[in-house]
Amino acid sequence: MARRYDSRTTIFSPEGRLYQIEYAMEAISHAGTVLGVLATDGVVLAAEKKVTGKLLDLSSAKDGGYGGSGEKLYLLNSNVIGGVAGLTADANSLVNFARSAAQRHLLTYNEDIPVELLAQRLCDMKQGYTQFGGLRPFGVSLLYAGYDPHYQFQLYHSDPSGNYSGWKATCIGANNGTAQSLLKQEYKDDIGVKEAIGLVLRTMSKTMDSTTLGSEKLEFAVLTVDPETNKPKAKIYRPAEIDALLLSEGLTKKEDDAEMKS
Amino acid sequence: MENSFALVGKGYLIVAADTTAARSIVKMKSDQDKIKALSPHLLMTYSGEPGDTLQFAEFVERNIRLYQIRNLYPLRPSAAASWIRRSLAESLRSRHPYSVNLLLGGYDIASDDPHLYWIDYLGTLSEVPFAAHGYGAYFALSLLDRYHDPNATLEEGLATLKRCIDEVSKRLVVSPDKYKVKVVDKDGIRDVEL
Amino acid sequence: MNTFVDLYSTTSATAQLRRAQKITEEENEEFSDGSWGSQAGFGTIVKGGPSFMVPNVPDPTSFLRLHTDDHADPSCRIKIQHGTTTLAFRFQGGVIVAVDSRATAGSYIASGTVKKVIEINPYLLGTMAGGAADCQYWETYLGMHCRLHELRNRERISVSAASKYLSNLVYSYKGMGLSMGTMICGWDKTGPAVFYVDSDGTRMKGDLFSVGSGSTFAYGVLDQGYRWDLTDEEAQELGRRSIYAAGHRDAFSGNTCNLYHVKENGWQFVGNYDIAKMHYEGNGTGAGPYGYEPRITGEN
Repeated sequence: MARRYDSRTTIFSPEGRLYQIEYAMEAISHAGTVLGVLATDGVVLAAEKKVTGKLLDLSSAKDGGYGGSGEKLYLLNSNVIGGVAGLTADANSLVNFARSAAQRHLLTYNEDIPVELLAQRLCDMKQGYTQFGGLRPFGVSLLYAGYDPHYQFQLYHSDPSGNYSGWKATCIGANNGTAQSLLKQEYKDDIGVKEAIGLVLRTMSKTMDSTTLGSEKLEFAVLTVDPETNKPKAKIYRPAEIDALLLSEGLTKKEDDAEMKS
Repeated sequence: MENSFALVGKGYLIVAADTTAARSIVKMKSDQDKIKALSPHLLMTYSGEPGDTLQFAEFVERNIRLYQIRNLYPLRPSAAASWIRRSLAESLRSRHPYSVNLLLGGYDIASDDPHLYWIDYLGTLSEVPFAAHGYGAYFALSLLDRYHDPNATLEEGLATLKRCIDEVSKRLVVSPDKYKVKVVDKDGIRDVEL
Repeated sequence: MNTFVDLYSTTSATAQLRRAQKITEEENEEFSDGSWGSQAGFGTIVKGGPSFMVPNVPDPTSFLRLHTDDHADPSCRIKIQHGTTTLAFRFQGGVIVAVDSRATAGSYIASGTVKKVIEINPYLLGTMAGGAADCQYWETYLGMHCRLHELRNRERISVSAASKYLSNLVYSYKGMGLSMGTMICGWDKTGPAVFYVDSDGTRMKGDLFSVGSGSTFAYGVLDQGYRWDLTDEEAQELGRRSIYAAGHRDAFSGNTCNLYHVKENGWQFVGNYDIAKMHYEGNGTGAGPYGYEPRITGEN
């Protein structure tokens, strides 16, 4: 019975469900993990890269750009970092849309777009694709780590249906259930950025499928406010910086050390 | 002749506009409020082409209210100023441009300080410590250059505003006799009698 | 060549057909589907709100400027009535509306018996200054919408709402040659109300207004005699005297004065008074003539 309603995003099943959206969410729960933690003085994001391998040319990620390898973490605006889980191609389109929306806001209001408003802009579009005929929803969930003067640091999550919600700490993608229960145990309301970085990395190392934790499998970003200029500072780590961070946190695994020696 | 003045002080902003509505040589009304409260901490005076003024002011008012309903917090004064400037600049190149001059002043809750913007019908926007529109500006601007103090108390600020109004009444041929004065600070907007 | 002739001929079959089509189109435009029922609130979207014909030329504004009487060019063909005195004021006993009845076209008097008070409905009056046709047309049109408001909302439209409707309407035609200065007067839940609306798009609430070339003369008498607690008789007399003053002093106003009184149960026509007669004889109650000379010589 359900089959008849599978191919139509615009049509409810007799049980009142929209199958295509549920399938999209299912697809995301197999994607690389993205994890975010909100701290009192910043927001931390980490993501597990899925596309890896010795032959992959990562030279462009080493320097230039905003940092990151361009798979999971993106600078959406100077005050917002986005982490994506799901179909990468869909994500690229959404990231592009988000950046345009943020610039449009800057053009009309001469201010950085408030974080929630950016999330709303994307969700308005995502929602549209669950309602209008013949279209497939975006197979992407996003985390938004951002800062604005209205609510200071914020962390939002949005899913393919166009729902969004704010979080203190959350996780999307593979093993998000495990990660979230770990976060629930360890999260404290007065957590600072330093501790949040540790919490994020520890949680990632426990939930990721792979045994190694290194820049090859990990993307990492922190959003803080520059104490001097009082403006948001988005830092997406480069591979070398991630390795250095892991080393300092004592989370580099044995196998990694062996590899580094050779 | 329509006149409006505004000035920022320490933690507050004063806005004043005359209250006359004139058609050719006739004063049709002498208690017209030409200052709109756009949000709990934002004031705007409007003057210019009859008809356009109120239509544009109401258009701005509704849009700023809509933003507040949608986002739960109101636009910050700087963002509101940019939006209004853009509306006027787009209008200027349309078939029926709004001929409206504005003073926009507000208290920014996020950064805890007052801001004042001078906007004209061409879409010029400039942040200033004090401002005026109308023929009164020819007297008030030099006066404010001389007497305005951004660190003055509210009482001193009101005294400076009174200087402007008195000077204009003294020297301008067709000067309005009554002004409406409003103040905005961290506690919101209130009317003031000079 | 035939098609070319057809295009400009007024009697050819195609021209007749075109004219017929145009008439039906106009009818549809006048009364959009939205006018006939609520259409679940989407009625006005069907035709995008009210509309009326503008001169079928590339630039209607300059067309009108060219063909109507402008101050710069008194020789043009279409004359629009400009000279007028109208007044309305609010007081304890309701609203007094008084107007003159002269229509001038250029330098001559085209009519001395014009009705410058437009009876929108039993509770609303509009005054006429500026383009007579503009006022008459749009205030009648306003009357239609006031009635629709009644049918849809089961209560009378407020004076404020009616005047705002008119002001928004004329504002949408701003710069296209409309010329009106009107007072919308009536009685609603808030009591007596007067709103000034003009074709610039200005709309003002007030106690006392006078509009037209003779308004300054009317103000001179009106302002001096006005009090909120005038009796009905005093108020009517003040309206009459003010219109008389303008009719006497303003070359473009005069002939007679039409007087209306709006009370809680709607408006009442009080009377039509000859200005020349008032000048020499007064209002007929034996209070003496209005005119300066007759008054002074009478006293002596």
